[in-house]
Amino acid sequence: MPSSPSLFRPRTLDEALDILAGTPDARPISGGASLVAMMNAGLVEPAALVSLTRIPELSGIRRTADGGIMVGAATRHSAIAADRIFDGTAAVLAHAASQIAGTAVRNMGTIGGAVAHADPGLDFPPALFAVDAHVQLAVKSGRRALPIRDFFVDWYTTALEPGEIVIGFEIPKPKAGAGFYLKHARVAGDFAVVSIALSLADDGEVRVAVGGCGPAPLGSTQADQMLSSGLSAETLRRAGELLTALANPVDDVRGTAEYRKLLIPRMLTRAAREITSARKAVA
Amino acid sequence: MNKPLSFAVGQSAPQIEAQEKVSGSAQYIADLYRPNMLHGALLQSPHAHARIIGYDIAQAAAMPGVHAIVTGDDLQEHWRMGAFIKDEHALAKGKVRYVGEPVAAVAAETEALARAAAAAIEVTYEELPATLSPQEALSLDAAVIHEHAADYIKVFDAGTNANLCSRTSFQEGDIQRGWRESELIFEANYQTQPQAHVSLEPCGAIAEMDANGRVSLWSANQSVFRVQANVAESLGLPMSRLRCLTPKIGAGFGNKMEPHVQPIVVLLAMKAKRPVKLILTREQDFEMVRARHPFQIRMKTGVKRDGTLVAREVEVLLDGGAFGDDSPGVLGYSLLMSCGPYRIPHVHCHGRLAYTNKMRFGAFRGFGVPQVTFAGETQMDEIADALGLDPIEFRLKNLKREGDCWLGGQPIESNGVSECLEKVRAVSGWSSEPRTTRGGESRRALGVACSAHISGLLSTGAIVRLLEDGTILLNTGSVDIGQGSNTILTQICAEALRVPLELISIASPDTDGSPYNWGTTASRVTYMTGTSVIGAAAEVERKIKDQAAEILECAPEDLELVPGGLVAVKGIPQRNVSFATVSGRAHWAAGGPIIGSHSWVFNQKTVDPKRATVVGLPFPQIGAFVFNATAVDVEVDDTTGKCKVLRAWSACDVGRAINPQMVEGQIEGAFVQGLGFALFEEMVWNGAQLINPTLMDYKIPTFMEAPSELKAIIVESHDPRGPYGAKSVGEIGINSVAAAITNAVNAAIGVRVRRLPLTPPRVLEAMLGSETTAGTAQS
Amino acid sequence: MTQPNSVTLNVNGKALTANAAAIDTLLTVLRDQFLLTGAKRGCNQGVCGACTVLADGRPVRSCLSLAFDCDDRRIDTIEGLNDRPIMQALQRAFIAGGAFQCGFCTPAMLVASFALLQSNPHPSEAEIRRALSGNYCRCTGYKKIVEAVFDAAARLPADTAA
Repeated sequence: MPSSPSLFRPRTLDEALDILAGTPDARPISGGASLVAMMNAGLVEPAALVSLTRIPELSGIRRTADGGIMVGAATRHSAIAADRIFDGTAAVLAHAASQIAGTAVRNMGTIGGAVAHADPGLDFPPALFAVDAHVQLAVKSGRRALPIRDFFVDWYTTALEPGEIVIGFEIPKPKAGAGFYLKHARVAGDFAVVSIALSLADDGEVRVAVGGCGPAPLGSTQADQMLSSGLSAETLRRAGELLTALANPVDDVRGTAEYRKLLIPRMLTRAAREITSARKAVA
Repeated sequence: MNKPLSFAVGQSAPQIEAQEKVSGSAQYIADLYRPNMLHGALLQSPHAHARIIGYDIAQAAAMPGVHAIVTGDDLQEHWRMGAFIKDEHALAKGKVRYVGEPVAAVAAETEALARAAAAAIEVTYEELPATLSPQEALSLDAAVIHEHAADYIKVFDAGTNANLCSRTSFQEGDIQRGWRESELIFEANYQTQPQAHVSLEPCGAIAEMDANGRVSLWSANQSVFRVQANVAESLGLPMSRLRCLTPKIGAGFGNKMEPHVQPIVVLLAMKAKRPVKLILTREQDFEMVRARHPFQIRMKTGVKRDGTLVAREVEVLLDGGAFGDDSPGVLGYSLLMSCGPYRIPHVHCHGRLAYTNKMRFGAFRGFGVPQVTFAGETQMDEIADALGLDPIEFRLKNLKREGDCWLGGQPIESNGVSECLEKVRAVSGWSSEPRTTRGGESRRALGVACSAHISGLLSTGAIVRLLEDGTILLNTGSVDIGQGSNTILTQICAEALRVPLELISIASPDTDGSPYNWGTTASRVTYMTGTSVIGAAAEVERKIKDQAAEILECAPEDLELVPGGLVAVKGIPQRNVSFATVSGRAHWAAGGPIIGSHSWVFNQKTVDPKRATVVGLPFPQIGAFVFNATAVDVEVDDTTGKCKVLRAWSACDVGRAINPQMVEGQIEGAFVQGLGFALFEEMVWNGAQLINPTLMDYKIPTFMEAPSELKAIIVESHDPRGPYGAKSVGEIGINSVAAAITNAVNAAIGVRVRRLPLTPPRVLEAMLGSETTAGTAQS
Repeated sequence: MTQPNSVTLNVNGKALTANAAAIDTLLTVLRDQFLLTGAKRGCNQGVCGACTVLADGRPVRSCLSLAFDCDDRRIDTIEGLNDRPIMQALQRAFIAGGAFQCGFCTPAMLVASFALLQSNPHPSEAEIRRALSGNYCRCTGYKKIVEAVFDAAARLPADTAA
């Protein structure tokens, strides 16, 4: 006899964490875009669902005291795409959000839900790398923050402990400059085959991350430093090589591993051209 | 809403079902309910090839809410169906032949209960070696998929042998002489991929048996009569005990032409003695219905240096999947069309169709022609290139002309192909603009291709009844799957009887009341059923005039129909009677209710034995020819190899556009479906497992992939036999799309790609020089 | 409340109550319980868009929304939007323009177009394509849909209320 999961709808974060700590095989759900799709397909049958949609502190985008940006985990993609707070180098995050799926999914999906799902074709993870975000996590026994680079552990696997959820993302104060997210997908709305998240500050600092080429986005402080010394054909070539060497993509219906590796330096060069010409247009 | 205007042939009348569809009240199969209804679920095979040793249904049967379980044990061995070769049971019996094949089914109170019970059925299998490619299948040591193929009923000389499902060959002229007379010979191998229909509506059915044992069956279908025949054959039911009906249909493109779950749902309903509804999930629709055949094609063409085509040899190898379905037809028809609309005196087209342990491949818009056109039309460009000829001039020089026959000898009675090609040349700026350009991040080129198709095949009928009040009921049995045939046929009837559209209603296809119609396929409904509508209306006109002659005291020849439902004495319009008066007299006084009917089988022979030699021809009569030329402007991204169609023009000779707006809609829709086939749609197997049976992983074109400039150009060659000169438009718009796009891409990148789809990796590899252009057919 | 079996939703302005399990999606409840079958199940994965309805005026995938999680929002389906001037303008334009064939995607396409015109009364062709790109159509090739939305927008008076 098929059983139906229980549904919990806590109104505070503490209540939610309590339930998650005490209920075996309970899955948190916010936008539902990933989890309900998996349930519909019969891929997952949770014993309990903990809806996070009625917890006010998990939603919303605000400026922090030191000029950074705090994004609640339950903030919808469409809200991030539209918010002008993501200015300067932080624009890469809004640009990535605007290219996720289609209108309706952007109205439903949340940044926390997407990132916790850890699909390598997702758009937020490389953009979060490029803005040097920290993930804020909470479990009944306490809270912690992790640099985003430490959050993706393996294919579809994050550093979340049992009963722990993402509650938000803290982004350091953005610099004046530009951010750009270049996405190559088979068709509009598809997951990325390869993507490049790039930020270019007016002072020349560059941060780059590559999506779709491994269990986690590719990022390298060495590549960032190389590119920060100047976006020349030579530095782009060397940074491209470096990032390609870090890549560990798989073959799937969207593309082969070989194709993805081939694309990394090409797309990096293209993204650099796009971001510099966009800045010239503005200047 | 304003009072609707009268429309007839040549007018862009809105769809008859428009209000239902835009208001959300149109009822498709999934929207229907029957009182006391149960829900069905399937158990599918995990193996590609295995003997079924036994079933244990005890646990499933004991689950609450379960009312019926059916397996192959409920079927007799000889209850087999199949369009050309009767090789398929309603459920796997004795063995399973592909991963995903339905093995058992359950009817229960809810869908969730049915699924849980289906999952609890235990089947014991003995695995057999699986054969996953046609080459493998045809090799001497391959495991045989249909051991009793020799016993199967076949409707034609298929030449079935072990895993060879069928073979066909056409010969005209003398191919060896052709090669000797050729000054240059081109030969290459081409490969196309399986494409999924992805109708937005998944397949489904509802069946209900009454106390007398008669079954009513509603299903998503393209032919109530094929449903009736298939269910009757696969369940050993007399056809008269089965009534098949039609809800609104959410498209088909071939997917719903032959059976899906209908036999299973009827079996469940008969066992449960309650109505049963089963709607496939999208995943099941991908993996257990049917798909477009992958083709391996060797194409060889001989020409003279001045560009005259002399000889062509085409050899194809088709993967048919586990059951024959429409595959023998696809093989034969694609070969018939594989020379394109060109004069080629010496021809040999031949091919084979193999059974494999994959889902069945079957009818899909184009029916094999998109695949062979891809090979033929890209080779034409290659030849033009080698000879230094403009690709359009080269084609124009060789096109079939007025008075020519098609391969095999059937006369072409209306031929607009050169007009199609000249129109796309003019509108695309082919001669005036540079044909290839290089931009900063991309390169761009124009490409062109031509194609042909048929409208027709098999039989159809129509009944026109004048109701007591003078309004009209049209009943044809042809299923409107969204292409607008209900509207078109109503327009034809309105034109014939000179009445406004709103005086006519068209009945929903129902095997109890509708005259036989083979189906909505082969682009046949306008041509075949339209002809029958005219014939039936003519009989009604005669009877109306007979009645009116008595009322008006004149001879029937003195009468004419007057617009609006009147019949009057010629030249004296005030001496008239209404259809209502005539019908009243017929019903109550003399003559009997006025009913007109017409039926026919397409009757022009495909092959003149004095002209061509054919082995294994699946259809002796096929249809009237339609033509197309497509031009595209394609941009190739230098960074990724991704191709985008910026502009497209498609000219189609449809004979006559009964409803121009609907004709455009078909051309535009077919173009975009062909774009998907050309650039990214592909069903992918990993061994025996279809790995992308979801819309996450199998992508069709969205608004963003469709070109923002897409121009449908209607060419009318006025067929002498077609209804008001009409032929068809349903499929012609897709056939040359992949070839035109490939020609553009090949021109843009300077490399020939001979394999579909032109995915970014494939194109980028070609650009970077790492793909061999000799192209060997791969398995 | 951990084992809910009844949910009350605000659908088309009315409070409707249904039997529902925790995992029942809004699509299932709308279709099977409320018999509002305009929203369709084309894939049940949120990709095809045929299930699109409005939640607080914004297009969402009803196949990915848990019915219970919708109880604090106003849901509008095609059936409830039929009397709105923007929707009527769209329906007239779709009919006149031949912007549907099989019609299976049409209710969702109209709902998504309605939401677009509410927030952007005069979208460009490119904006229309982008806004609707999450709604699949396999029949029309999209051209007549774009033209119909453009047409409907052009015919709406500047001050039309939704």
